This record gives sequence, structure tokens and C-alpha cells, in this order.
Amino acid sequence: MRAGAARLGASLAAVLAVGLLIVLVRADPDAGSTAQTTLLDQPAPAVTGTLEDGSTFELSRRRGSWVVLNFFTSTCVPCQREHPELVAFDQEQAGLGSLGAELHTIVQHDDREAVERFFAENGGDWPVVFDDEFRFQNAFGVAQVPETWIVDPTGTVRGRVIGEVTAEFLSTTIQRLREAL
Amino acid sequence: MRRRLSWLAVLFVTVGALAVGASRDGGPLDPGDRIDAISRRIACPVCDGESVYESRNPASEAIRSAVREGVRAGGLTDDEVIAEVADAYGAQVLLLPRATGLDALAWALPVTAAVVALAGLASAFRRWREAAVQSGEATDDDRRLVERLRAERDGDGSGGSR
Repeated sequence: MRAGAARLGASLAAVLAVGLLIVLVRADPDAGSTAQTTLLDQPAPAVTGTLEDGSTFELSRRRGSWVVLNFFTSTCVPCQREHPELVAFDQEQAGLGSLGAELHTIVQHDDREAVERFFAENGGDWPVVFDDEFRFQNAFGVAQVPETWIVDPTGTVRGRVIGEVTAEFLSTTIQRLREAL
Repeated sequence: MRRRLSWLAVLFVTVGALAVGASRDGGPLDPGDRIDAISRRIACPVCDGESVYESRNPASEAIRSAVREGVRAGGLTDDEVIAEVADAYGAQVLLLPRATGLDALAWALPVTAAVVALAGLASAFRRWREAAVQSGEATDDDRRLVERLRAERDGDGSGGSR
């Protein structure tokens, strides 16, 4: 009787241990920092920001175009490193005419003059949106920059990249998404 | 019987304390206090072990702003405000893990471990008590030994002295 109870206890402990091991092995250790997001394949949040000229930028009004949102701060070194890639991507997409993706920089926690100076010195004439009220940041859950999001012409979120991106990665990703749409 | 009553008393006090603790309404009264209380339950997504309430990081500033908006908009409970933040930033911002999905392991494992440990202790105590009781009873060998010694004593007992 006692031996049976001991065997049952040992079996339960073994099952528990194996189950825990499976959970740990299957768990993604980088789940907190990868591009996993509940927004993927969902409508992009209808958020607004302020453009350089003081007018309002409404994300929902960009439907009909592929939209790339690059979250940025001028003092962030990876953002500075990434910038030439964005310039190249923007030029490449401009060459596609109306099919090309629109690039928008979303500025977080930064001084307007510093941002304008950065763009003047490093190139890039795409729209810059100041997220002074954290609407973009909180809607997209951007904890650190740089971070880049892709929204398709129907206004659906199609991709998120945490960290630096390259022009080639963005172009091939959007092309693949275009073909799948 | 007395031991059972003691255990029942301990159980009663524990359950009572848990029930009072869980149902006590110690919630904040004004929006400012609510914002602070909610911010204390959300982890700064880029810091190490700091809550959004404590952290001065820009990401925490943004989340505090989201909490402020959620509270001031009205109609949302504290848990709903926190859930909105967690939906956007991920479950890693929850200082108290959710009771569903993989996060529930954080709650279930300690309880399971405690139950298993208690069951193990109870089983061990029972075994030890049984072993102690058994060791106090005379075995057949003991009886044979006593018989032999008595026989030896009685055999030369007439002339013996202590």
C-alpha cells in the first residue's frame, strides 16, 4: 500500500518535472523583446501626432498606402546608425511611385530643434511626427527606440522590428507582404 | 481529538485572515492616488526591477501618461487600465503575473510545491511514528532472548547473589 503511494507520488513528481521542462524548453527567452505583438494582423491604432509645421498627423488617414513608422530619438546611437539605411529605403521606395511605401519618423522624448538639426545634417525629408502626448508610443507599446512598424494599405499592422533595420530588410519584407496581399 | 481541534483552529484562522485580506477595501479614493497605485503595479519595461511609479525612464513616463488617461477617462477599473498597458507593452510589464496562461505558473508552482512539501512531511511524520511504535514492541527474537536469559538465571539462580 505504502509502496504504491510512493510510486504514485514519484510518478506525479516525474510528470510535473517533465511538464515543467517542456514548458521551459518551449518558452521563448526573448519573448519580451522580440517582435511579438498583439497588434499583428490587427487594425493599426487610430492615433495622432504633430507634424513639424504644427499640423496634425492622423495615422488612420494614411490608408491606401504602405506605411512604415520608425520610432526615433536623435540622441539614440542605434537610431543614428540606422539612419542612412532609412534614407536609402526612402529613396528606393520613392522610385516605385505610388506603389512605394511612405516612411514616417515618430519622435519620442526629444527636442524639436535637435531633431530638425539631425535631419538637416543626415538627410531624410520624409514626414517627422512628434509624439508629445505619447499616443503612438503607448498604442504601439514602444519601450525603446529604434523600433519600426509596417502597416499595409488596409490599415492593418503587418510587421514590427525591434532594433535597427536595414533598407534591404524593409524593402524585401514589404515586397513579400505586397505579393501576399 | 485535541490535536484535530488545534489543526481546525489553525485552518480557521488562516482562511479567515485570507478572506479578510482579499476582500478588504483599502483602495485609493481620488484619481491621483489611483494613478500612483496603478503605476506601482506596472514594471518599467526597460529598467531592472523598478515600477513605473519609481522609474524616471521615458518609457515609464509614457506609461504613466497612459495610466493617467485611463483613470481620467473614467469607466475603467484598475485592472482594466493595467490590462490595456500590458496589451500594448507585453505581459512583462506586470509586476503581479496574470492568473491565466503561462503566467499562471508563477502562482500555481509555489502552491503546488507547498502542497507537495506538506504532503511529504505528513507522510514522513506518519512513517516515523509508525517506526517508533513498532520499535517499542517486543519481537519474537526479543521474546526468545528473554526466555533464554530467564532460563539461564533460574538454572543457577539458587546460589547467585546480586
